Amino acid sequence: MRSKLIVVIFTTVLIMAGLLIAIVLADSVPNGAGLPHPEFNGMQAGGDGAARLEHIGSLAFAFQCLLLLLIVCLATLGVAEQRRSPELWAYMGGTLLFSLFVWYKMYSGHQAFLETGITNYFMGFPVATAWQVYGTWLGAIPLIILYTVGFRKYIFTEEDERKYEQLLADIAERSEQ
Amino acid sequence: MEAYRQEIIVGAVVIYMIFCVITGLWAMRRTKNSSDFFIAGRGLGPIVVSLALFSSTLSGFGFVGGPGLVYSIGVSSFWMIVISSTGYALGFFLVAKRIRMIADVRNCISLPDVVAARYNSEAVRFLIAVTIVLGVMGYLATQILAMAVVMQAILSGTEMFADIGLVTCVVISSAVLIFYCVTGGIIASVYTDVVQGAIMMIAGTLILLTAMSVFDGGMQEATSIILADDGEAIMPFGAAGIMASLGWFFVFGLGLAGQPHLVTKMMMNKKISDNRSILPMSLFGYVMAALLWVSIGVIMRAAVIDGVISPLSLPDDAASVFLSVFTNPLLAGIVFAGLFAAIMSTSDAFLNIGTAAIIHDIPKAIRGHSIKNELFWARVVTVILAIVAASFALYSHFQDATLVAILGAFGWGTFAASIFPVLAIGLNWKGATALGAISAIVSALLINFIVQLAGIVLPYGILGGLIAFVVSLILFIGVSLVTKKPELDADMEAVLNI
Repeated sequence: MRSKLIVVIFTTVLIMAGLLIAIVLADSVPNGAGLPHPEFNGMQAGGDGAARLEHIGSLAFAFQCLLLLLIVCLATLGVAEQRRSPELWAYMGGTLLFSLFVWYKMYSGHQAFLETGITNYFMGFPVATAWQVYGTWLGAIPLIILYTVGFRKYIFTEEDERKYEQLLADIAERSEQ
Repeated sequence: MEAYRQEIIVGAVVIYMIFCVITGLWAMRRTKNSSDFFIAGRGLGPIVVSLALFSSTLSGFGFVGGPGLVYSIGVSSFWMIVISSTGYALGFFLVAKRIRMIADVRNCISLPDVVAARYNSEAVRFLIAVTIVLGVMGYLATQILAMAVVMQAILSGTEMFADIGLVTCVVISSAVLIFYCVTGGIIASVYTDVVQGAIMMIAGTLILLTAMSVFDGGMQEATSIILADDGEAIMPFGAAGIMASLGWFFVFGLGLAGQPHLVTKMMMNKKISDNRSILPMSLFGYVMAALLWVSIGVIMRAAVIDGVISPLSLPDDAASVFLSVFTNPLLAGIVFAGLFAAIMSTSDAFLNIGTAAIIHDIPKAIRGHSIKNELFWARVVTVILAIVAASFALYSHFQDATLVAILGAFGWGTFAASIFPVLAIGLNWKGATALGAISAIVSALLINFIVQLAGIVLPYGILGGLIAFVVSLILFIGVSLVTKKPELDADMEAVLNI
């Protein structure tokens, strides 16, 4: 039976490709990828942020949600099938929700700035950017904790190590014969 | 001390280069065969692997191009580095354990060896090896050129070397690089990486502290200045916009597990269980070093907008101007040594995998066996490869930059698109087939080549590399799903079950 996880990954990537096509075909705006800064050579300016999200904002938001789903699915694929317990799925689900929360706070914080033109600051950056700088970095910490702390439970158990040592011993024995 | 600024900087760089030469000589005594030369005999400890892994990730691009990108496009370029935690995590979840096991089981000394074993296909080996050679040429040429340009800038500031030419700088920097790579192979490379990594972490931390003192209000004042000038530049998607930012997130995040010079280092640790500590240590080192990228870029953009300093001639001058204006000479010396360290650690990693592809994998794919006396030929080809790349860099600088630019396209994005599916998914999904792998590699190469050659610009800053990556993933999984499930050799079946 084919692994359902690979089908989920495949479907996710297909939808992302569809979103990319929709973005390519959407109405374009002059500052979609930035404009030369009016005063300083070598600098780019973003210009009107609301205008460049007008046609693609929701598509791009969905694209990133799917990318976060893809990342969690790929990390789960890296855990051997027999170790993908309900506990692991719950943990991965929590990781996905945390990443989506960070992404939502970043995106909605940017939208709020576009509407009001004002922002608060957190640790040196405007709030939306702080979610990007600190939140995105931290978004993968649950995966790193799982790998490090759960290494002997999910990644390479004592039993795995024994099987591996046995495999190497068998190969060495065969090569001697 | 200020009066001796240039001498202090030159001294720091010279000390570092002497260290590289001594390490090369020391490592030569430990290099007995091609396995030692290419993968350090799979006997490295976790600290060495961690530092080697992260210092190879952050090349000269991180020290020069990174701050330049923040100066130029604002926060957009942050996406390349904030994804590092996810990138490292995926690399370890998907690749670290199984690549090390396959290397052991099949006695692999290169990435193409591993994929050939996984897919039982010499065609896959050949395509991956060719991709590596093409990518290595572009990467090496740009790294050597960057190293020479920085060296010329440093030396020309002294009386003795005021008129030094670029060619001389290429010769000096390449000679040091070649010496320690040829003598000590990957062992010299990883042990210099340890010092390189330490220098980069120290430099990143000190630069952040310096950057925060440039404006009285610290980083917040700098970001407020940028916000007042152009709000988008300091908002999460920067001047380049949302799709360019998310494209970098995708390509740099997932793509880390497809970089041959990085995943090859995952074959070098002594014990698989060391991976649990290598992951957090690598990430910590990378984050500390990347502080330099973020802090210099933000401060320089704000300083120019605020009139503190004159506008830069080129965005890539951001780091060097910051060091000459805002730092004391000792810190500038450490950072310049760190810059050389970053460039050299990436260059030696590429020289190593490029040489392996040429003397080991391509002959094996074509003739069924690699050449005799691999260690000798590895040293010869390392020299030739470096000389060709250095010549290439000079030709590009003085005559025509097109060829290097095209090969430059075989950088991170192409490696990511062509290698990630084949390696990272292929090592974790028994249903992956050789035909799926070939489709993914060929499509990634073609799309990147076409986008580069035809100069195609996609709307909203969508990257060609992102399109190549998505297409490659779809073809890899799609073709594998519709082709006959492969019968794996017993040892591969066992490895993929663990």
